[in-house]
Amino acid sequence: MPPLRPQARFLLRGSGLLIGLLTLWWFALLTPMLWVLESAGGVFGGLLLGGRNGELIHQNPAGDWSFHVPLEMTLAPAAGQPAQQVHSIDFDMPRSDVIAFTFSLPVFWAIALALPGWRQNLRPLVIGTALTAGLELVLLVAFAEVSAHKAAAQLSGVEGAADAWILRFGEYLAVSVLPYAAPFFIALAVNPRLRWQIFQWGADPESSRPVELPERKSLKKGRG
Amino acid sequence: MACYQRELNSAPQIHPIRFAAIFACCFLVGIGVLLTPPLQTADKVFSQMLVRVAHAVVQAFGGHATREAAVLRAPGGFAVEMRDGCNAVNVVILLCSAVLAFPASWKLKLLGIGLGSLIIQAVNVVRFISLFYLGQYSMTWFDFAHAYLWESLIVLDTMVVFWYWVTRVLRAGAASHASA
Repeated sequence: MPPLRPQARFLLRGSGLLIGLLTLWWFALLTPMLWVLESAGGVFGGLLLGGRNGELIHQNPAGDWSFHVPLEMTLAPAAGQPAQQVHSIDFDMPRSDVIAFTFSLPVFWAIALALPGWRQNLRPLVIGTALTAGLELVLLVAFAEVSAHKAAAQLSGVEGAADAWILRFGEYLAVSVLPYAAPFFIALAVNPRLRWQIFQWGADPESSRPVELPERKSLKKGRG
Repeated sequence: MACYQRELNSAPQIHPIRFAAIFACCFLVGIGVLLTPPLQTADKVFSQMLVRVAHAVVQAFGGHATREAAVLRAPGGFAVEMRDGCNAVNVVILLCSAVLAFPASWKLKLLGIGLGSLIIQAVNVVRFISLFYLGQYSMTWFDFAHAYLWESLIVLDTMVVFWYWVTRVLRAGAASHASA
């Protein structure tokens, strides 16, 4: 049987690791990761969007998440009602939707480990894990902000086609595109071996090996 | 004293930053255009077409299902609908952006986009059929496979398809260098 090509080996290893690590995530890692995301999201969201720390997200007894996003707006007077000042938007998100913001990590681990060589994969794995976790946090806060603006646009009843498109675009990227694609981009960015294998950018890290140079001999001037 | 000997690469030089910039532009524009109302209508028609293919494959292998627009229904009542985002068009945009950003002849780019899109859509039809049967067995496993497992497997497939294509492009480049 001829040996498999590197692409086929990567696909088989990557698929196996994806199945294994996503199953592990689904059954064992999800709850602790959601707890960390809720705590970190509360602090980070408070810093970015304003409001008190930990006020952005809280979990209700059913396990769903309630968001409290500070947003200043004035609602135009409606039939018999005066203009109203809005200071924040509150909305709920089911737990099944929130878990999408923890899913990039096991996907990144699978891609990072799909190349053979534990020791060479370790540094990219650590750096990529930090980057992926940070990105998940940013996506969660971005999603909260976009959702609050969508709700505000619905409340005010004056939403142009361009505004609606921009909000849809932001939400689509934060929920349906980046959580799935970003782990692959990060894996390529942090792993020079993977970059070399696919693009052949720069020098082959596998062929970089130390070469002993002969010791420099001190030259003595002789008197002739 | 030790220094590192580096093997020089004979492949044509590709600028990573240029590649990343063109890729990001193509990808964002592609996704943006996909979300415009006219393209959304075409997207729905495309989903219905894929469900028609999936239905034909199920019947060809002796399975039982009925089809209505973008919905595939089992005799037991379970039904699965191919919605926006389930037809792998966004993954095809990902592949097209990467192919367009990589320096190659237009002939090779068209080959990469055409053949790559076909492979991705073939995998997507397999995904849809597997979800159709998995949903009849367990909704928990259906949710897991639908939202997470298959999505990431399809992006991995896309990466590997792109990798095969790049290898082909680099070989073609090396061959033209050798013949020159």
